[in-house]
Amino acid sequence: MLSVKNIIKEYAKHRALDDVSIEIERGKIFGLLGPNGAGKTSLIRIITQITAPDSGEVIFNGQRLNSDHISQIGYLPEERGLYKKMEIGEQVLYLSKLKGLNTADATKRIKFWFEKLEMADWWNKKVEDLSKGMQQKVQFVATVLHQPELIILDEPFSGFDPVNADIIKNEILDLNKQGATFIFSTHRMESVEELCDSIALINKSKKILDGSVDEIKASYRNNTYWIAYEGDFDLNAKADIFSVLQHEVAKGVNQVKITLQPGKSANNVLEALLPYVNIHRLDEVIPTMNDIFIDKVKGKHHE
Amino acid sequence: MNKILLIIKREYFSRVKKKSFIVMTFLTPLLIAGIYGLIGYFTYTGIKDTHDKIGVVSANKTLTTKLTSSKNVDYKYLNQSLDDAKLALAKEDYDYILYLPEFTLNEPKGIELFGKKQAGLSINRRISDDLEEIIRNQKLQESGISQGDLDKLKTNVDIETKKITADTGKEESSSAGASTIIAFIAGVLMFMFIMLYGIQVMRGVIEEKTSRIIEVMISSVKPFQLMMGKIIGIALVGLTQFVLWIVLTFTISTVVATVFIDKEDVKKVANTATAKNELATGTDAVSTAQGPLADIQKSLAGLEVGKIVTVFIFFFLGGYLFYSALYAAIGSAVDSETETQQFMMPVMMPLLLGYALSLSVVTNDPYGDIAFWISMIPFTSPIAMVVRLPYGVPAWELALSMAILVAGFVLTVWVASRIYRVGILMYGKKTTFKEMFKWFTYKN
Repeated sequence: MLSVKNIIKEYAKHRALDDVSIEIERGKIFGLLGPNGAGKTSLIRIITQITAPDSGEVIFNGQRLNSDHISQIGYLPEERGLYKKMEIGEQVLYLSKLKGLNTADATKRIKFWFEKLEMADWWNKKVEDLSKGMQQKVQFVATVLHQPELIILDEPFSGFDPVNADIIKNEILDLNKQGATFIFSTHRMESVEELCDSIALINKSKKILDGSVDEIKASYRNNTYWIAYEGDFDLNAKADIFSVLQHEVAKGVNQVKITLQPGKSANNVLEALLPYVNIHRLDEVIPTMNDIFIDKVKGKHHE
Repeated sequence: MNKILLIIKREYFSRVKKKSFIVMTFLTPLLIAGIYGLIGYFTYTGIKDTHDKIGVVSANKTLTTKLTSSKNVDYKYLNQSLDDAKLALAKEDYDYILYLPEFTLNEPKGIELFGKKQAGLSINRRISDDLEEIIRNQKLQESGISQGDLDKLKTNVDIETKKITADTGKEESSSAGASTIIAFIAGVLMFMFIMLYGIQVMRGVIEEKTSRIIEVMISSVKPFQLMMGKIIGIALVGLTQFVLWIVLTFTISTVVATVFIDKEDVKKVANTATAKNELATGTDAVSTAQGPLADIQKSLAGLEVGKIVTVFIFFFLGGYLFYSALYAAIGSAVDSETETQQFMMPVMMPLLLGYALSLSVVTNDPYGDIAFWISMIPFTSPIAMVVRLPYGVPAWELALSMAILVAGFVLTVWVASRIYRVGILMYGKKTTFKEMFKWFTYKN
C-alpha cells in the first residue's frame, strides 16, 4: 500500500536519507529500525507529509502522496505532547476533527475508545492532571480514532508500564486484524520479533537491510545448534558431520555447541548420537533481531 | 480552509474562556471609569472644600485685612501676638499661621509660615501669589491707578481652536487638548495591544513546541495553516477585548458621570463660588468646572469618533499581523521563553521607537516630516497613524499608509511562515539569525 521510492532528503550539511526505498504491504506490521539519528524520523516525517523529500517519491494506494491522504494516516510521534490546559475529551475531539471527522462521529468514537481503555471518566480532566502513562493512552486514542489505513507509531511503548504496554499491544494487534497497516519505528528488538511481519533497517541515512522477519532470521542461520545429552561419546569422531565450538559439563549433562558441516542436517547429528547417548534437547541457534541489528550496525561501523 | 477555522476556534475560545481574560476585560473599563470618576470627583470637591485655613498675624499695616479668602485658602486675621498664636495653633482649627512682619513694599522680607504639618509647595505658592498681587495692586494704586481701573485690567482669554480641512474647506471645531488626550490614549492602547497579543502568539507557538504537540498537529495541517489559525484566533481575542472595553467603558463612564457630576451640582458650586469671592476668581472656578467636560464633549463631536475607532481597528489588525508574524517566527525558533531575548530586541526596538516618537514628536508636530514618515513605515505606522489621526490626516496619506501596512504584513507573514515551518521541528539547538536565514531559504 505504501512504496517509498529512492528518497533523498538533505538538511543544511548532512544527508538525512540517502536513496532509501521501502515497500510496505497492506495489513502488515512493518518495523522501521535503526540506531538513533539514522534517519527514521526523517523518513516518517516525509510519509506523514510534515516535510517533503528533495527527490524521490512516496506512493500511497497507487497515488502519489498528497494532502488527501492525511486523513488516512495516523501518527504517534516519539516525542508526545498534548495541550496541557485543554480538557482530554475536547482535545481528542479537536485532533480528530482536524483529521476530517465530524463532531457527532468523533464524539461517539471517543466514548467508545475511552470505555474500552478504561478512561471513561477522564473526559473533563486536563492533560496536566494526568500521569505520563495516562497521557500516552490519550494520545494513542487520538492517533487511531479516525480509523486510518496506515498507522505510524514511533516508539509506542516508551513510557508505558508493562500492564498498559500489554493493553496497547493487544489494541495494535486488534486493529491490525481489522485491516490497519502499521509502521512501527523502534529500537526495542523484542517488540519487533513479537509484532512485526517485515522490517527495514536504516543506518547512517541508508537502508542496509530489509525483508520479512522470518526470512531475515533464516538468512542469518549459520547451522549452529545446542545439544544436551547424558553419556560418554567422543565428539571428535564425527568431525565429518559437525565440529564442536563449545563443550561444558554440568551435573552430568553435556552442553555442546556445534556447527554442521556443509550438506549435513540436524538429523545426521541425531543419527550419529542416538545409539550412544541419552539426548535431552537439540536447539538450533537462531540469531535474535537484536543480534542481527547489532551485527549489521556494528559491521557498518567497521567498514 | 475548514482546518484553519477549527484552529481559529480553538485558539479563540481557549483564550476567551480563561479567567485572566474575563477579569482583565471587565476590570479594566471599571478601572478606567473609576479613574474618570475620581478625576470628576476631585474637580468637584476641589472647588468646594479642599482649602487650608490660615491664621494671619500681621505686624504690617499695609497688609492688614487685604488678604481675602479664595476657593482654596481661608485667611483669618488674628488679634494675637505671634507667640500666642503659635502656642494656640495646636488647639485651633486653622492649619497654618502666616506671619507678616513690618516691611517696605519694595523689600518684602521675613514672611514666615508655621504649620501643624510641613507646608506643601502649592500652599506656599498660593500665599506668595496672593501677597504678590496685593503688593502689586498697592504699588499701582500708589502710582495713581484706581481700583476700578485695576478691575478693568482683568481679562480672561479662552482660545477656541478650529481646523480647516483641506478636503472640504469646512471649519471644524476641535480642541488641541482633547486631540492630544485622544492621541495619547490611542497610541498607548495600540502599543499595548500589539505587544500583548504579539507576545501571546509567541507564547502559543512555544507552548506547542515545548509540549511537543506540534508534530501531531502538522501531520494533520500545514504549518502555515497552524500559524495563521493561531494569529487570526488571537487577533479576534484582541478585537473582542477592544470592543468590550469600548462598550463597557462608555457605559460605565456614562453612569459614573451622571452619578458624580450632574449639571445641577456644577452650577451650584459655580454660584456659591461667585457669591463668596471676587468676581474674577468666581468665573475662574466655573470655567475649570465646566472646562474639561465641555471641551471633551465638544471636540469628541468634532473628532468623528466612529472614524477614529474604525481606523484604530484597521491599524490594530494590520500592525498586529505585521508584528505577530515576526513573533510567531521567534517562537518557532526557540525551545523556551527564556531564549527569546536576543530575537525580541530587534522586533521590540522599532515598536518602542515608534511609540516614543509618536507620543513626543508627533503630538507636538502632527504634520511634520518625522510624523509623516513614521506613519508610513509599517514598523511604526500603526502607532504613529492613530496618534496623528485626532489632529486630522489627509485622506491620501491615510490610504497610502494603510496600503503599505497591508503589503508589509503580507511580507512578514510570508517570511515568518518560511522560518516557522522549519523552526517548529528544531529542538535542542541554540538558533542564530544566520540559521533562521538558512531556514528561510529551504525549499520545502
